[in-house]
Amino acid sequence: MSKTFDAIEEGDELETRVLFLSKDQVRAFARATGVDFPRFTDDEGARKEGLPGMIAPGNMSMGLLTTFIETWAGTGSLRRLGSTFRGLVLPDQEFHLCAVVTEKDEAARTTELDTWMESSDGERVVIGTATVSFD
Amino acid sequence: MEFDRSIIGREYDRADSEAVVAEELIAFAKAVGETAPCYTEDGPDLVGHPTFCLRYRGRKFFPDNLPKGLLGRMSFDAGKDLDLGVPIRPGDRIHVSSCVHDLYEKTGRSGSMSFVVVRFTLTNQSGEHVATIDNRMMYR
Repeated sequence: MSKTFDAIEEGDELETRVLFLSKDQVRAFARATGVDFPRFTDDEGARKEGLPGMIAPGNMSMGLLTTFIETWAGTGSLRRLGSTFRGLVLPDQEFHLCAVVTEKDEAARTTELDTWMESSDGERVVIGTATVSFD
Repeated sequence: MEFDRSIIGREYDRADSEAVVAEELIAFAKAVGETAPCYTEDGPDLVGHPTFCLRYRGRKFFPDNLPKGLLGRMSFDAGKDLDLGVPIRPGDRIHVSSCVHDLYEKTGRSGSMSFVVVRFTLTNQSGEHVATIDNRMMYR
């Protein structure tokens, strides 16, 4: 059940989503988006590019954060998402998807969020801000 | 580094996509863990997941006249800003217009970094705004 606008207050934290991101999920995403390059599909190929192993594309992290936000606010509610890729998203580990309400605009019926994706060792590998609109 | 800022805002590429098919919208949505029927079930209500549009990048990512000082340097995808318009639907043909939106330098703990922001503006076959995507590429 998504959140109603009236029930939201600045400072609210969204319930963190814990996600195990598998290599097969990353490969499926890479295939679905036409970026099935070695760095996104295969550890050995990624190492040849100087990476520690295969990584998830930044676009996938944005997709995961969007799904997380829209589960809270309702489908079609995301208006804007800005993201900074700060670290490598190495699959086959747990990630935490997190967000907090930083601003609520009563007239526009929108909220601003700070959002981030955190690895199992607590590193914020993706950070961002989002604007979400409500009916 | 000296930047020729006259390239900012000039369209360097335009491209039109093939018609979007339902299967690709559904495969994308499932790959990011989406379960909402409007993103995952074929039918009249099916629309693209909001980040589906990030796959569109025209025919070439960078302009031919990128500053020469950046060539050969290591580059990273530093992040993206996505501003959404109308959703993508099956049958849509997406038009992508590309330009350099910004060029700047920053100095951090690891030294000087240059940033190129490439902007893709997406519209559909009716001319409606689908998305504006700013891609920040960092050069070390």
